[in-house]
Amino acid sequence: MSLAIDTIVTAETPEGISISIRPAGFAVRACAFLIDVLIRIAILFACASLFSAGRQVGIGLLLISGFVINWLYPVLFELSAAAATPGKRAMGLYVLMANGLPLTPAGCLIRNLLRAVDMLPLLYASAIVCILLRRDSRRLGDLAAGTVVAYRHELERAGRLADGVPLPPPMALTMRQQLALTAFAWRVERLTPARAEEIASHAAALWPAPGPPAGAPMTGRLIGIARWLHGDRR
Amino acid sequence: MTALDFETSNEAQWSELEKALTRGEKTLDPERILFLYRTACEHLALAEARGFPAPLVSRLSALTARAHQIVYRQTDLGLGRIARTLMHAFPAGVRAHRWYVLLAALLVVAPAVALGYAVAHRPDLILSLADSTTVERFGRMYDPANPAIGRVRDAGTNWMMFGFYIANNIGIAFQCYVSGILFGLGSLYYLAFNGAFGGAVAGYVTSIGFAGTFFPFIATHSAFEITAVVLSGAAGLKIGRSVLLPGRLPRVASLQLAARETSVIIFGSAVMLVIAAAIEAFWSSAAWVSPSAKFSGAAGCWMLVAIFFLRRPRAD
Repeated sequence: MSLAIDTIVTAETPEGISISIRPAGFAVRACAFLIDVLIRIAILFACASLFSAGRQVGIGLLLISGFVINWLYPVLFELSAAAATPGKRAMGLYVLMANGLPLTPAGCLIRNLLRAVDMLPLLYASAIVCILLRRDSRRLGDLAAGTVVAYRHELERAGRLADGVPLPPPMALTMRQQLALTAFAWRVERLTPARAEEIASHAAALWPAPGPPAGAPMTGRLIGIARWLHGDRR
Repeated sequence: MTALDFETSNEAQWSELEKALTRGEKTLDPERILFLYRTACEHLALAEARGFPAPLVSRLSALTARAHQIVYRQTDLGLGRIARTLMHAFPAGVRAHRWYVLLAALLVVAPAVALGYAVAHRPDLILSLADSTTVERFGRMYDPANPAIGRVRDAGTNWMMFGFYIANNIGIAFQCYVSGILFGLGSLYYLAFNGAFGGAVAGYVTSIGFAGTFFPFIATHSAFEITAVVLSGAAGLKIGRSVLLPGRLPRVASLQLAARETSVIIFGSAVMLVIAAAIEAFWSSAAWVSPSAKFSGAAGCWMLVAIFFLRRPRAD
Protein backbone atom coordinates (compact mmCIF):
# COMPACT_ATOMS: atom_id res chain seq x y z
CA MET A 1 0.00 0.00 0.00
CA SER A 2 2.69 2.48 1.01
CA LEU A 3 5.04 2.21 -1.94
CA ALA A 4 6.71 5.63 -1.98
CA ILE A 5 6.05 6.73 -5.55
CA ASP A 6 5.31 10.28 -4.48
CA THR A 7 6.96 12.68 -2.01
CA ILE A 8 4.01 13.13 0.36
CA VAL A 9 4.94 13.22 4.04
CA THR A 10 2.38 12.91 6.79
CA ALA A 11 2.28 14.65 10.14
CA GLU A 12 0.10 13.62 13.05
CA THR A 13 -2.08 16.09 14.88
CA PRO A 14 -3.24 16.00 18.51
CA GLU A 15 -6.70 15.10 17.22
CA GLY A 16 -5.33 11.75 16.10
CA ILE A 17 -5.56 12.37 12.38
CA SER A 18 -2.64 12.75 10.02
CA ILE A 19 -2.13 15.66 7.69
CA SER A 20 -0.50 15.08 4.34
CA ILE A 21 2.16 17.53 3.22
CA ARG A 22 3.00 17.56 -0.48
CA PRO A 23 6.37 19.39 -0.76
CA ALA A 24 6.75 21.77 -3.67
CA GLY A 25 9.59 20.90 -6.03
CA PHE A 26 12.22 23.02 -7.72
CA ALA A 27 10.29 24.11 -10.83
CA VAL A 28 7.21 25.46 -9.09
CA ARG A 29 9.28 27.20 -6.42
CA ALA A 30 11.45 28.81 -9.09
CA CYS A 31 8.29 30.16 -10.77
CA ALA A 32 7.05 31.53 -7.44
CA PHE A 33 10.45 33.11 -6.83
CA LEU A 34 10.47 34.79 -10.25
CA ILE A 35 7.02 36.27 -9.62
CA ASP A 36 8.26 37.60 -6.27
CA VAL A 37 11.36 39.10 -7.88
CA LEU A 38 9.22 40.92 -10.44
CA ILE A 39 6.94 42.27 -7.70
CA ARG A 40 9.93 43.43 -5.66
CA ILE A 41 11.44 45.20 -8.66
CA ALA A 42 8.11 46.92 -9.30
CA ILE A 43 7.92 48.10 -5.66
CA LEU A 44 11.50 49.34 -5.80
CA PHE A 45 10.78 51.29 -9.00
CA ALA A 46 7.72 52.81 -7.36
CA CYS A 47 9.84 53.82 -4.35
CA ALA A 48 12.52 55.25 -6.63
CA SER A 49 10.07 57.46 -8.50
CA LEU A 50 8.47 58.48 -5.20
CA PHE A 51 11.77 59.42 -3.55
CA SER A 52 13.43 60.97 -6.59
CA ALA A 53 12.07 64.35 -5.50
CA GLY A 54 13.93 64.05 -2.21
CA ARG A 55 17.53 64.39 -3.48
CA GLN A 56 19.96 62.99 -0.85
CA VAL A 57 17.22 62.27 1.68
CA GLY A 58 15.54 60.39 -1.14
CA ILE A 59 18.65 58.29 -1.80
CA GLY A 60 18.82 57.45 1.89
CA LEU A 61 15.17 56.44 1.97
CA LEU A 62 15.67 54.41 -1.20
CA LEU A 63 18.60 52.52 0.36
CA ILE A 64 16.52 51.79 3.45
CA SER A 65 13.52 50.67 1.41
CA GLY A 66 15.73 48.50 -0.78
CA PHE A 67 17.00 46.77 2.33
CA VAL A 68 13.51 46.46 3.83
CA ILE A 69 12.02 45.10 0.61
CA ASN A 70 14.78 42.54 0.20
CA TRP A 71 14.76 41.17 3.74
CA LEU A 72 11.30 41.88 5.07
CA TYR A 73 9.17 41.19 2.00
CA PRO A 74 9.14 37.40 2.46
CA VAL A 75 8.94 37.68 6.27
CA LEU A 76 5.90 39.94 6.30
CA PHE A 77 3.99 37.96 3.70
CA GLU A 78 4.80 34.58 5.21
CA LEU A 79 3.60 35.74 8.62
CA SER A 80 0.23 36.72 7.14
CA ALA A 81 -2.71 34.34 7.22
CA ALA A 82 -1.86 32.92 3.79
CA ALA A 83 1.66 31.94 5.01
CA ALA A 84 2.97 32.64 1.51
CA THR A 85 4.51 35.42 -0.56
CA PRO A 86 2.36 36.58 -3.49
CA GLY A 87 4.46 34.43 -5.82
CA LYS A 88 3.94 31.29 -3.73
CA ARG A 89 0.26 32.13 -3.41
CA ALA A 90 -0.09 32.43 -7.16
CA MET A 91 1.48 28.99 -7.57
CA GLY A 92 -0.78 27.46 -4.89
CA LEU A 93 1.98 27.00 -2.31
CA TYR A 94 2.36 27.86 1.35
CA VAL A 95 4.99 27.55 4.07
CA LEU A 96 4.49 25.45 7.19
CA MET A 97 6.60 23.79 9.84
CA ALA A 98 7.88 20.35 8.89
CA ASN A 99 5.87 18.84 11.77
CA GLY A 100 2.65 20.05 10.12
CA LEU A 101 2.07 23.01 12.43
CA PRO A 102 1.54 26.50 11.04
CA LEU A 103 4.66 28.59 10.42
CA THR A 104 5.95 30.21 13.62
CA PRO A 105 7.39 33.74 13.62
CA ALA A 106 10.84 32.42 14.63
CA GLY A 107 10.78 29.81 11.88
CA CYS A 108 9.81 32.43 9.34
CA LEU A 109 12.63 34.76 10.42
CA ILE A 110 15.29 32.04 10.32
CA ARG A 111 14.31 30.60 6.94
CA ASN A 112 14.39 34.05 5.38
CA LEU A 113 17.61 35.19 7.12
CA LEU A 114 19.38 32.11 5.82
CA ARG A 115 18.63 33.14 2.27
CA ALA A 116 22.04 34.78 2.67
CA VAL A 117 23.57 31.27 2.77
CA ASP A 118 21.26 29.74 0.19
CA MET A 119 22.32 32.46 -2.26
CA LEU A 120 25.95 31.34 -2.13
CA PRO A 121 28.02 31.13 -4.23
CA LEU A 122 25.69 32.76 -6.74
CA LEU A 123 22.10 32.65 -8.01
CA TYR A 124 20.80 30.55 -5.10
CA ALA A 125 23.05 27.64 -6.15
CA SER A 126 23.17 26.13 -2.64
CA ALA A 127 19.39 26.25 -2.39
CA ILE A 128 18.93 24.67 -5.82
CA VAL A 129 21.33 21.81 -5.09
CA CYS A 130 19.74 21.22 -1.70
CA ILE A 131 16.19 21.25 -3.10
CA LEU A 132 17.09 18.89 -5.93
CA LEU A 133 18.84 16.42 -3.63
CA ARG A 134 16.13 16.15 -1.00
CA ARG A 135 12.88 14.21 -1.31
CA ASP A 136 11.10 16.94 0.67
CA SER A 137 12.65 19.75 -1.42
CA ARG A 138 13.88 21.89 1.45
CA ARG A 139 16.68 24.43 1.14
CA LEU A 140 19.28 25.09 3.86
CA GLY A 141 17.15 27.82 5.40
CA ASP A 142 14.21 25.43 5.59
CA LEU A 143 16.38 22.82 7.30
CA ALA A 144 17.64 25.26 9.93
CA ALA A 145 14.17 26.66 10.58
CA GLY A 146 12.37 23.30 10.39
CA THR A 147 10.02 24.54 7.69
CA VAL A 148 8.81 23.18 4.37
CA VAL A 149 7.15 24.72 1.31
CA ALA A 150 4.15 22.65 0.26
CA TYR A 151 1.11 22.67 -1.99
CA ARG A 152 -1.98 24.19 -0.42
CA HIS A 153 -4.90 21.80 0.09
CA GLU A 154 -7.64 22.87 -2.31
CA LEU A 155 -11.16 22.83 -0.97
CA GLU A 156 -12.80 22.49 -4.41
CA ARG A 157 -13.88 18.94 -5.01
CA ALA A 158 -12.50 17.18 -8.06
CA GLY A 159 -14.82 14.88 -10.01
CA ARG A 160 -18.20 13.38 -9.11
CA LEU A 161 -19.77 9.96 -8.91
CA ALA A 162 -20.86 8.82 -12.37
CA ASP A 163 -24.59 8.29 -12.96
CA GLY A 164 -25.99 4.78 -13.23
CA VAL A 165 -28.44 2.25 -11.83
CA PRO A 166 -27.27 0.87 -8.45
CA LEU A 167 -26.40 -2.81 -8.51
CA PRO A 168 -25.80 -5.06 -5.48
CA PRO A 169 -22.29 -6.57 -5.55
CA PRO A 170 -22.36 -10.19 -6.76
CA MET A 171 -19.92 -11.25 -3.99
CA ALA A 172 -18.42 -10.05 -0.73
CA LEU A 173 -15.84 -7.35 -1.43
CA THR A 174 -12.76 -6.54 0.63
CA MET A 175 -12.16 -2.99 1.82
CA ARG A 176 -9.49 -2.42 -0.83
CA GLN A 177 -11.74 -3.73 -3.57
CA GLN A 178 -14.50 -1.38 -2.42
CA LEU A 179 -12.07 1.56 -2.41
CA ALA A 180 -10.85 0.69 -5.91
CA LEU A 181 -14.41 0.48 -7.24
CA THR A 182 -15.54 3.81 -5.80
CA ALA A 183 -12.34 5.52 -6.94
CA PHE A 184 -12.96 4.16 -10.45
CA ALA A 185 -16.58 5.37 -10.50
CA TRP A 186 -15.48 8.87 -9.46
CA ARG A 187 -12.85 9.04 -12.15
CA VAL A 188 -14.60 7.32 -15.03
CA GLU A 189 -16.05 10.51 -16.54
CA ARG A 190 -12.55 11.79 -17.19
CA LEU A 191 -11.58 8.67 -19.18
CA THR A 192 -12.48 7.79 -22.76
CA PRO A 193 -15.18 5.06 -22.87
CA ALA A 194 -12.76 2.63 -24.54
CA ARG A 195 -10.11 3.13 -21.84
CA ALA A 196 -12.71 2.89 -19.07
CA GLU A 197 -13.95 -0.41 -20.48
CA GLU A 198 -10.39 -1.69 -20.78
CA ILE A 199 -9.81 -0.99 -17.08
CA ALA A 200 -13.22 -2.31 -16.03
CA SER A 201 -12.82 -5.57 -17.96
CA HIS A 202 -10.18 -6.72 -15.46
CA ALA A 203 -12.99 -7.14 -12.91
CA ALA A 204 -14.52 -9.92 -15.03
CA ALA A 205 -11.81 -12.33 -13.89
CA LEU A 206 -12.89 -11.92 -10.26
CA TRP A 207 -16.59 -12.37 -10.99
CA PRO A 208 -18.13 -15.43 -9.25
CA ALA A 209 -19.20 -18.35 -11.50
CA PRO A 210 -20.77 -18.39 -14.02
CA GLY A 211 -19.15 -14.99 -14.70
CA PRO A 212 -20.71 -11.76 -15.92
CA PRO A 213 -23.22 -11.87 -18.82
CA ALA A 214 -21.14 -11.94 -21.99
CA GLY A 215 -21.11 -8.91 -24.28
CA ALA A 216 -22.54 -6.47 -21.76
CA PRO A 217 -20.19 -3.52 -20.96
CA MET A 218 -18.41 -3.87 -17.62
CA THR A 219 -18.10 -0.10 -17.04
CA GLY A 220 -21.81 0.41 -16.30
CA ARG A 221 -21.84 -2.66 -14.08
CA LEU A 222 -18.92 -1.42 -11.94
CA ILE A 223 -20.44 2.07 -11.68
CA GLY A 224 -23.66 0.43 -10.47
CA ILE A 225 -21.82 -1.55 -7.81
CA ALA A 226 -19.90 1.58 -6.73
CA ARG A 227 -23.16 3.51 -6.40
CA TRP A 228 -24.61 0.68 -4.29
CA LEU A 229 -21.50 0.70 -2.07
CA HIS A 230 -21.72 4.44 -1.72
CA GLY A 231 -25.24 4.03 -0.35
CA ASP A 232 -27.53 4.49 -3.35
CA ARG A 233 -30.16 1.72 -2.84
CA ARG A 234 -32.93 2.79 -5.22
CA MET B 1 -24.37 3.73 7.86
CA THR B 2 -23.48 4.15 4.21
CA ALA B 3 -21.17 6.86 2.88
CA LEU B 4 -24.19 8.61 1.39
CA ASP B 5 -26.00 8.77 4.76
CA PHE B 6 -22.80 9.94 6.37
CA GLU B 7 -22.43 12.72 3.82
CA THR B 8 -26.01 13.94 3.96
CA SER B 9 -26.15 14.01 7.76
CA ASN B 10 -22.89 15.95 8.12
CA GLU B 11 -22.80 18.09 4.98
CA ALA B 12 -24.12 21.17 6.81
CA GLN B 13 -21.18 21.23 9.25
CA TRP B 14 -18.57 20.59 6.56
CA SER B 15 -19.79 23.34 4.30
CA GLU B 16 -20.01 25.72 7.24
CA LEU B 17 -16.33 25.05 7.99
CA GLU B 18 -15.47 25.30 4.29
CA LYS B 19 -17.14 28.70 4.03
CA ALA B 20 -15.48 29.93 7.21
CA LEU B 21 -12.06 28.92 5.84
CA THR B 22 -12.47 30.68 2.52
CA ARG B 23 -13.98 33.80 4.02
CA GLY B 24 -10.81 34.84 5.86
CA GLU B 25 -9.75 34.83 9.42
CA LYS B 26 -11.17 38.01 10.88
CA THR B 27 -14.77 36.89 10.76
CA LEU B 28 -14.33 33.55 12.52
CA ASP B 29 -15.90 32.69 15.81
CA PRO B 30 -13.05 30.79 17.52
CA GLU B 31 -15.17 28.39 19.55
CA ARG B 32 -17.35 27.47 16.61
CA ILE B 33 -14.29 26.86 14.43
CA LEU B 34 -12.72 24.67 17.09
CA PHE B 35 -15.90 22.65 17.36
CA LEU B 36 -16.26 22.26 13.60
CA TYR B 37 -12.57 21.39 13.23
CA ARG B 38 -12.66 18.66 15.90
CA THR B 39 -15.87 17.26 14.45
CA ALA B 40 -14.31 17.15 10.99
CA CYS B 41 -11.26 15.35 12.45
CA GLU B 42 -13.58 12.78 14.00
CA HIS B 43 -15.41 12.35 10.71
CA LEU B 44 -12.14 11.93 8.84
CA ALA B 45 -11.03 9.18 11.21
CA LEU B 46 -14.42 7.46 10.85
CA ALA B 47 -14.42 7.77 7.07
CA GLU B 48 -10.93 6.25 6.84
CA ALA B 49 -11.76 3.40 9.21
CA ARG B 50 -14.99 2.53 7.38
CA GLY B 51 -13.37 2.59 3.95
CA PHE B 52 -15.57 5.36 2.59
CA PRO B 53 -14.83 6.50 -0.99
CA ALA B 54 -11.48 8.19 -1.58
CA PRO B 55 -12.99 11.52 -2.75
CA LEU B 56 -14.88 11.87 0.53
CA VAL B 57 -11.76 11.07 2.54
CA SER B 58 -9.59 13.49 0.56
CA ARG B 59 -12.20 16.22 0.91
CA LEU B 60 -12.20 15.76 4.69
CA SER B 61 -8.42 15.68 4.88
CA ALA B 62 -8.13 18.91 2.88
CA LEU B 63 -10.71 20.48 5.16
CA THR B 64 -8.97 19.40 8.36
CA ALA B 65 -5.52 20.34 7.04
CA ARG B 66 -6.65 23.87 6.19
CA ALA B 67 -8.45 24.30 9.52
CA HIS B 68 -5.44 22.88 11.41
CA GLN B 69 -3.28 25.70 10.02
CA ILE B 70 -5.66 28.26 11.49
CA VAL B 71 -6.43 26.54 14.78
CA TYR B 72 -2.78 26.15 15.76
CA ARG B 73 -1.47 29.44 14.39
CA GLN B 74 0.68 31.62 16.65
CA THR B 75 -0.82 35.03 16.15
CA ASP B 76 0.82 36.63 19.14
CA LEU B 77 3.23 39.11 17.60
CA GLY B 78 2.36 41.88 20.04
CA LEU B 79 4.63 44.78 20.86
CA GLY B 80 4.73 43.67 24.51
CA ARG B 81 6.33 40.43 23.47
CA ILE B 82 8.88 42.20 21.30
CA ALA B 83 9.78 44.53 24.17
CA ARG B 84 10.10 41.58 26.58
CA THR B 85 12.26 39.74 24.06
CA LEU B 86 14.55 42.74 23.65
CA MET B 87 14.82 43.72 27.30
CA HIS B 88 15.05 40.26 28.90
CA ALA B 89 15.41 37.37 26.49
CA PHE B 90 18.14 39.12 24.46
CA PRO B 91 20.57 39.85 27.36
CA ALA B 92 19.74 36.46 28.88
CA GLY B 93 20.59 34.78 25.57
CA VAL B 94 23.87 36.68 25.42
CA ARG B 95 24.77 35.71 28.99
CA ALA B 96 23.95 32.08 28.24
CA HIS B 97 26.50 32.15 25.40
CA ARG B 98 29.15 34.15 27.23
CA TRP B 99 32.06 31.94 26.13
CA TYR B 100 31.13 32.31 22.49
CA VAL B 101 30.83 36.06 23.01
CA LEU B 102 34.26 36.23 24.68
CA LEU B 103 35.83 34.21 21.88
CA ALA B 104 34.19 36.40 19.24
CA ALA B 105 35.31 39.57 21.05
CA LEU B 106 38.85 38.20 21.21
CA LEU B 107 38.72 37.41 17.50
CA VAL B 108 37.86 41.02 16.76
CA VAL B 109 40.02 42.78 19.33
CA ALA B 110 43.27 40.80 18.98
CA PRO B 111 43.75 41.42 15.22
CA ALA B 112 42.54 44.99 15.65
CA VAL B 113 45.12 45.76 18.34
CA ALA B 114 47.90 43.90 16.56
CA LEU B 115 47.33 45.55 13.19
CA GLY B 116 46.58 48.92 14.75
CA TYR B 117 49.92 48.85 16.52
CA ALA B 118 51.80 47.56 13.50
CA VAL B 119 50.29 50.00 11.01
CA ALA B 120 50.73 52.96 13.35
CA HIS B 121 54.47 52.23 13.27
CA ARG B 122 54.77 51.12 9.67
CA PRO B 123 51.92 52.80 7.75
CA ASP B 124 52.80 51.08 4.47
CA LEU B 125 51.61 47.76 5.98
CA ILE B 126 48.01 48.82 5.37
CA LEU B 127 48.57 48.31 1.66
CA SER B 128 48.58 44.56 2.30
CA LEU B 129 44.93 44.83 3.39
CA ALA B 130 43.55 47.49 1.07
CA ASP B 131 44.54 49.05 -2.23
CA SER B 132 45.92 52.57 -2.40
CA THR B 133 42.71 54.32 -3.53
CA THR B 134 40.77 52.89 -0.57
CA VAL B 135 43.54 53.94 1.78
CA GLU B 136 43.60 57.42 0.32
CA ARG B 137 39.80 57.63 0.70
CA PHE B 138 40.11 56.75 4.39
CA GLY B 139 42.73 59.46 4.76
CA ARG B 140 40.39 62.05 3.24
CA MET B 141 37.44 60.90 5.36
CA TYR B 142 39.08 61.81 8.63
CA ASP B 143 40.83 64.96 7.44
CA PRO B 144 40.14 67.60 10.13
CA ALA B 145 39.54 70.11 7.30
CA ASN B 146 36.47 68.10 6.29
CA PRO B 147 33.18 69.63 7.52
CA ALA B 148 31.52 66.23 7.93
CA ILE B 149 33.66 63.39 9.17
CA GLY B 150 33.44 59.68 8.57
CA ARG B 151 32.73 59.21 4.91
CA VAL B 152 33.44 61.68 2.18
CA ARG B 153 30.20 63.56 1.76
CA ASP B 154 30.42 65.28 -1.57
CA ALA B 155 26.74 64.60 -2.14
CA GLY B 156 25.85 63.19 1.22
CA THR B 157 23.39 64.19 3.85
CA ASN B 158 22.73 62.59 7.19
CA TRP B 159 19.61 60.74 6.00
CA MET B 160 21.40 59.23 3.08
CA MET B 161 24.21 58.02 5.30
CA PHE B 162 21.68 56.59 7.78
CA GLY B 163 20.34 54.40 4.99
CA PHE B 164 23.82 53.44 3.88
CA TYR B 165 24.97 52.55 7.39
CA ILE B 166 21.94 50.36 8.07
CA ALA B 167 22.37 48.38 4.87
CA ASN B 168 26.13 48.10 5.29
CA ASN B 169 26.31 47.24 9.00
CA ILE B 170 23.44 44.80 9.10
CA GLY B 171 24.93 43.18 6.02
CA ILE B 172 28.24 42.64 7.85
CA ALA B 173 26.49 41.29 10.95
CA PHE B 174 24.39 38.87 8.89
CA GLN B 175 27.54 37.71 7.13
CA CYS B 176 29.23 37.00 10.47
CA TYR B 177 26.18 35.02 11.60
CA VAL B 178 25.09 32.95 8.65
CA SER B 179 28.57 32.08 7.42
CA GLY B 180 28.91 30.20 10.72
CA ILE B 181 27.05 27.36 9.04
CA LEU B 182 30.32 26.53 7.23
CA PHE B 183 31.60 24.80 10.38
CA GLY B 184 32.17 28.19 12.02
CA LEU B 185 34.96 29.06 9.60
CA GLY B 186 32.97 31.86 7.97
CA SER B 187 32.33 33.57 11.30
CA LEU B 188 35.98 33.19 12.30
CA TYR B 189 37.08 34.75 9.04
CA TYR B 190 34.65 37.67 8.97
CA LEU B 191 35.21 38.53 12.64
CA ALA B 192 38.99 38.48 12.32
CA PHE B 193 38.96 40.27 8.98
CA ASN B 194 36.69 43.07 10.19
CA GLY B 195 38.78 43.41 13.35
CA ALA B 196 42.02 43.52 11.38
CA PHE B 197 40.65 45.97 8.86
CA GLY B 198 39.25 48.31 11.51
CA GLY B 199 42.50 48.18 13.47
CA ALA B 200 44.57 48.87 10.38
CA VAL B 201 42.45 51.88 9.46
CA ALA B 202 42.75 53.22 13.03
CA GLY B 203 46.51 52.73 12.93
CA TYR B 204 46.86 54.35 9.53
CA VAL B 205 44.73 57.37 10.42
CA THR B 206 46.77 57.83 13.61
CA SER B 207 50.04 57.62 11.72
CA ILE B 208 49.01 60.46 9.40
CA GLY B 209 47.97 62.57 12.38
CA PHE B 210 44.18 62.51 12.03
CA ALA B 211 43.54 60.69 15.32
CA GLY B 212 41.88 63.80 16.70
CA THR B 213 38.97 63.39 14.31
CA PHE B 214 38.93 59.60 14.00
CA PHE B 215 38.53 58.52 17.61
CA PRO B 216 35.77 60.96 18.57
CA PHE B 217 33.99 59.82 15.42
CA ILE B 218 33.97 56.10 16.13
CA ALA B 219 33.81 56.17 19.94
CA THR B 220 30.03 56.51 20.38
CA HIS B 221 28.41 54.34 17.76
CA SER B 222 31.04 51.62 18.15
CA ALA B 223 29.47 50.85 21.54
CA PHE B 224 26.48 49.46 19.66
CA GLU B 225 28.07 48.56 16.35
CA ILE B 226 31.10 46.55 17.47
CA THR B 227 29.08 44.87 20.21
CA ALA B 228 26.39 43.86 17.73
CA VAL B 229 28.94 42.50 15.23
CA VAL B 230 30.65 40.54 18.04
CA LEU B 231 27.30 39.13 19.17
CA SER B 232 26.33 38.12 15.62
CA GLY B 233 29.73 36.48 15.22
CA ALA B 234 29.29 34.68 18.55
CA ALA B 235 25.93 33.38 17.35
CA GLY B 236 27.62 32.30 14.11
CA LEU B 237 30.30 30.43 16.09
CA LYS B 238 27.55 28.66 18.01
CA ILE B 239 25.91 27.66 14.72
CA GLY B 240 29.29 26.41 13.46
CA ARG B 241 29.86 24.38 16.59
CA SER B 242 26.41 22.82 16.32
CA VAL B 243 27.29 21.57 12.83
CA LEU B 244 30.83 20.53 13.69
CA LEU B 245 30.10 18.86 17.05
CA PRO B 246 26.42 17.96 17.11
CA GLY B 247 26.84 15.74 20.18
CA ARG B 248 24.03 13.22 20.55
CA LEU B 249 21.76 14.94 18.06
CA PRO B 250 21.65 14.41 14.31
CA ARG B 251 23.50 17.26 12.58
CA VAL B 252 20.37 18.87 11.15
CA ALA B 253 18.51 18.75 14.47
CA SER B 254 21.52 20.22 16.22
CA LEU B 255 21.65 23.03 13.66
CA GLN B 256 17.95 23.73 14.14
CA LEU B 257 18.36 23.88 17.91
CA ALA B 258 21.30 26.29 17.64
CA ALA B 259 19.44 28.48 15.13
CA ARG B 260 16.45 28.65 17.48
CA GLU B 261 18.62 29.53 20.47
CA THR B 262 20.56 32.24 18.63
CA SER B 263 17.65 33.84 16.77
CA VAL B 264 16.95 36.16 19.70
CA ILE B 265 20.59 37.34 19.70
CA ILE B 266 20.39 38.15 16.00
CA PHE B 267 17.15 40.01 16.48
CA GLY B 268 18.72 42.08 19.28
CA SER B 269 21.87 42.72 17.24
CA ALA B 270 19.82 44.01 14.32
CA VAL B 271 18.10 46.51 16.64
CA MET B 272 21.48 47.58 18.06
CA LEU B 273 22.80 48.12 14.54
CA VAL B 274 19.90 50.41 13.67
CA ILE B 275 20.66 52.44 16.82
CA ALA B 276 24.35 52.51 15.82
CA ALA B 277 23.48 53.71 12.31
CA ALA B 278 21.34 56.54 13.70
CA ILE B 279 24.13 57.66 16.06
CA GLU B 280 26.75 57.37 13.33
CA ALA B 281 24.72 59.45 10.87
CA PHE B 282 23.48 62.19 13.17
CA TRP B 283 25.92 62.43 16.09
CA SER B 284 29.31 60.93 15.31
CA SER B 285 29.74 62.83 12.06
CA ALA B 286 28.52 66.19 13.37
CA ALA B 287 31.53 68.50 13.30
CA TRP B 288 29.84 71.02 15.61
CA VAL B 289 29.97 68.61 18.57
CA SER B 290 33.27 69.02 20.41
CA PRO B 291 35.46 65.91 20.80
CA SER B 292 35.14 66.06 24.59
CA ALA B 293 31.35 66.02 24.35
CA LYS B 294 31.61 63.07 21.97
CA PHE B 295 33.88 61.20 24.36
CA SER B 296 31.49 61.74 27.28
CA GLY B 297 28.60 60.57 25.11
CA ALA B 298 30.68 57.54 24.13
CA ALA B 299 31.48 56.73 27.77
CA GLY B 300 27.77 56.91 28.55
CA CYS B 301 26.87 54.59 25.68
CA TRP B 302 29.54 52.02 26.56
CA MET B 303 28.36 52.04 30.20
CA LEU B 304 24.77 51.63 29.03
CA VAL B 305 25.66 48.63 26.87
CA ALA B 306 27.73 47.07 29.68
CA ILE B 307 24.96 47.52 32.24
CA PHE B 308 22.37 46.20 29.80
CA PHE B 309 24.18 42.90 29.39
CA LEU B 310 25.73 42.51 32.83
CA ARG B 311 22.82 43.52 35.10
CA ARG B 312 21.41 40.85 37.28
CA PRO B 313 18.81 38.81 35.43
CA ARG B 314 15.26 39.33 36.60
CA ALA B 315 14.02 36.34 38.54
CA ASP B 316 10.91 35.20 36.69
